[in-house]
Amino acid sequence: MEIANITINGQPVSAQVGSTILQAARQAGIDIPTLCDHPALIPIGACRICLVEVTGQRTLITACTFPITEGMVVQTESPQVVMARKLILDLLFSERNHFCPFCEASGNCELQNLGYRYGVDHWLYSTFTKAFPIDATHKHLFMEHNRCILCGRCERACGEIVANHTLGLRNRGNASMIHCDASLPWGESTCISCGTCLQVCPTGAISDKRSAFMGRDVQTESTKTTCNRCSIGCGMEVVTRAGNVLRIKSDWDAEVNGGRLCEYGRFDPLYDPRDRITSPLLRRKGRLEPVSWDEALQSVADRVGAAQGQEIGVLTSSNSTNEALYLLNKLFCQELGAKNVGLLNSVAPKLFDQPRGSLADIVAGDVIMVVGTDPVKDQPVASFFVKRSVDKGARLIVVDDGENGLAPFAYMNLRIADIGRAIEIAHRAAQPIVLYGVGASEAAVKSLKALQGKARFVTLEPGVNTFAAVTFGFNNGFKPSAAKVLYASLGEQDWSGGDMLKAVDKGAFVVVQASFASPLTEKADVVLPTAIWSERAGSLTNTEGRVQKVNKAVEPRGGAKPDWEILSLLAEKLGRKLGASLDEIAALAVQEIKYKENQR
Amino acid sequence: MKLEDVDLLKEFTSEQIAKLDEIISKHRGKPGGLIPVLEEAQVSLEYLPIGIQKRIAKGLNLPLSRVYGVVTFYSFFTMTPRGKHTVRVCLGTACYVRGGKAIAEKLEKEFGIKEGETTPDRMFTLETVRCLGACGLGPVVIIDEDVHGRIKPGKVREILSQYN
Ligand code: SF4
Ligand code: SF4
Ligand code: SF4
Ligand code: FES
Ligand code: FES
Repeated sequence: MEIANITINGQPVSAQVGSTILQAARQAGIDIPTLCDHPALIPIGACRICLVEVTGQRTLITACTFPITEGMVVQTESPQVVMARKLILDLLFSERNHFCPFCEASGNCELQNLGYRYGVDHWLYSTFTKAFPIDATHKHLFMEHNRCILCGRCERACGEIVANHTLGLRNRGNASMIHCDASLPWGESTCISCGTCLQVCPTGAISDKRSAFMGRDVQTESTKTTCNRCSIGCGMEVVTRAGNVLRIKSDWDAEVNGGRLCEYGRFDPLYDPRDRITSPLLRRKGRLEPVSWDEALQSVADRVGAAQGQEIGVLTSSNSTNEALYLLNKLFCQELGAKNVGLLNSVAPKLFDQPRGSLADIVAGDVIMVVGTDPVKDQPVASFFVKRSVDKGARLIVVDDGENGLAPFAYMNLRIADIGRAIEIAHRAAQPIVLYGVGASEAAVKSLKALQGKARFVTLEPGVNTFAAVTFGFNNGFKPSAAKVLYASLGEQDWSGGDMLKAVDKGAFVVVQASFASPLTEKADVVLPTAIWSERAGSLTNTEGRVQKVNKAVEPRGGAKPDWEILSLLAEKLGRKLGASLDEIAALAVQEIKYKENQR
Repeated sequence: MKLEDVDLLKEFTSEQIAKLDEIISKHRGKPGGLIPVLEEAQVSLEYLPIGIQKRIAKGLNLPLSRVYGVVTFYSFFTMTPRGKHTVRVCLGTACYVRGGKAIAEKLEKEFGIKEGETTPDRMFTLETVRCLGACGLGPVVIIDEDVHGRIKPGKVREILSQYN
C-alpha cells in the first residue's frame, strides 16, 4: 500500500495513493461538505459543493473526485472556496422550492445544513417558479420533484447498489428531472420498493408515506438490529419515537448487506395488518379466556410434565431466535425426551461438510449459477448482488423448473434436468459461483459436487433462522398423529395448520406460542403471546452461518414476551435450570451452533 | 411474432425494424455505442418512440431509464414523428400584437392539434417561434422555407392548401 503525504489546511495528512482529497480529509477528521457524493456510490463531481483550493491548480477542484498526489497542498475553507460554495448554495436554493419550513426533510436535510453552515439567510436570486408535479403513485414513497437538487444519488443508488435501474435523469437545463423507467408513474414502474433511493436522498425530494412528518432525527431514537424476514439477515436500524416504530433504515456498516434492504425488511413490517395477541389465553369450558402468565404456564407445565417423551410433539417456525431454538431443543428434546420435532419450512439440501460460502462471494464471480432458488422472491438482497454482478459482466445461468425472478437477467435459462450444460460452462469459468436452494434436486446436488474446489457455493435457505433450527435438530419428519401434547412455536409466522393439524389427535393438548391470532390459535388449549421482531432481543443465524444480534427497539405489546423468555419461564416451572438470563442462554446457544458447525 | 414487434409494426415497416436491429448489432458490446445507435436510428426511423427505445435498451443491454435519459437530453432526438411540412407561427412581440395569437389558434383548430404536435396524417408539424426578424411582415408564418407575411385567420386555409 503506497502512501502519499499531503497538507490539508496546514495539517499534515497521509493517505493511500489513489484516495480522493475528500477521502483523505475524512480520514484525518477534516470535514469537506458534499451533496452529490455518497460513500457507497461512485463519485461523479456533479454538485461542486466540495470545491477546494489546491496550490498550483488553476481553478478550484472537486475534492470528491480528485486523487491526491505526494506533496499536495489543500485549503478547504479559504475565502475563495467559501465564496464559491456560497454561490453554489445560492443557485441551489433559488432553483425549485426550498422553502424549508414546509418541507418534510427540514431538520434532516443536507442542503439546509449547508445553508446554515455558510450563512445563506436570504435569496440572492429570485426563486424559481417552474412547478414540477409530485409523484405519489408509489405505495410506500413519494417524490417531491420541487425539492430535488438533481444530485443523482437516488439514480445511482438504484443502479449501483440495487442494480434495478428504475430511476434515471431526463431532459436538460431547467427541465431536468428524475424519472422512472421512461417517465412512468413510480407506482407503475419497475421499482421493487427497496427504498434505497429514499435512504440516500439528501433533501426532502423523496419521503416515505408511513413516517413522513412524524419526527426529525433529533426527536427519534435508533436501534440497530437484524432483519427477520428471510435468511440473509440484513443489518438495519429501527427508528422509533415514543415507543412507536416510525421507519426502518438500512445499516451502512452491516457486513452482510452494507446499506441494502428489500421491501420485506424496510416496509412490510410497518404495515402488518394482523391481530396481535396481547394476553396469555387458556381454554376453560371450551372457551379461550385471558389468564395470567403464571396460570397459563402452570397449565402447560402440568400437561407437558405428565406426558411421556414420545407423546410430545414440537413444531417450530424458523422465525425464532437462536436462544428460543436452543431452549426448545434443550427443554423438550434433551430434558423431556421428545423426538417428534419439526420445522415449518423446508430446508436446502446439504452439499458439503465444510462451512458455507459467503454472500460477499457473489460479486467475485464471472459465472453465476442459480440452482433451484429464486432470491428475487425469497432473499431479495441476494438478488441485488447477483444483478450487480451481471451489470459488471458476469454471466448468469438460471437452473430452475418453475418461474424465476432472475430469468430475465440470465444469459441462459435451463431446466434442472439440464444442469450438466451449466456445469460445463462453470468448469471453464475463472471463478464460478453457485447459489442453490430447496429446488435443487438430488440429482442436481450430485452433479454440483463435480464443481467442488472450483466453484464457491452459497446456500440460500428458505425461512429465516433455518440454519440454527437445523443445527438444533428441527428438521426430521414431524408425525402429527403421534403427538398427545403439541407445542407449536409460531412466532410471527402465518400457519393455519393445514393437513398436518387435522392429523393431530382430537384429544391432544395444543399449546401455541404466537404473536398473531390465526386459525391455529383459535383451536389451541393455551396461547402464549410472543413479542415480534421489534420487541425482542437475542440473535439469529443467517444462511451463511453468521450469528447476528437482534435488539429490542420498543416494549412488547400488552403482555407479550420474547420467544426465549417464554421457554425459559416454562423450563423454570418444570424445575429445569437452563440458564437464567438472556446473556447466559445466548452464550450457550451460540456456543452450540459454533460447535455443531465445526462438527459438520 | 412477439407482442412488442406487433406494436412496433403499427408504426414502422418490417424493413425499418430489420434495419434498426442491424444498427443495434453493429454497436452491441462496444462502449459508448448508445449515441451512435440513437443517431442512426433517428435518421432511418425519423423518430424514437418508447417501443423503439425499449428495443435499443434490450439490444444494447442497457436500462431503459438510461436510453430515455439520453433521448430526452439531446434535442436532435425526437420521440414523436415530424410532419412532411413544418409550420412555424411567430409569437414574437410584433407579430403577437398584430394578431399572431389568433393565427396560432386558427392553425391549432385547423389541424386539430396543439403546438409541438404533428397531424395524424403526418402532413404538418406545428411549432411556435419568437421573432423571425421579419417583424415588418407580421404576423408571420413560415412553412418549411417559405415566409408568409400579413396573414389573416381567414387566409390560413388557402395557404395550407398549397402544401400536400
Ligand atoms: S425503491 Fe429501490 S428500486 Fe425503487 S426506485 Fe428506489 S432504489 Fe430503485
Ligand atoms: S431525488 Fe433526492 S437523491 Fe434524487 S436527485 Fe433529487 S435530491 Fe438527489
Ligand atoms: S433480504 Fe431478507 S434479511 Fe435482507 S431486508 Fe430483505 S427480507 Fe430482510
Ligand atoms: S460532492 Fe463533490 S461535486 Fe458533489
Ligand atoms: S415578432 Fe414575428 S417576426 Fe419579429
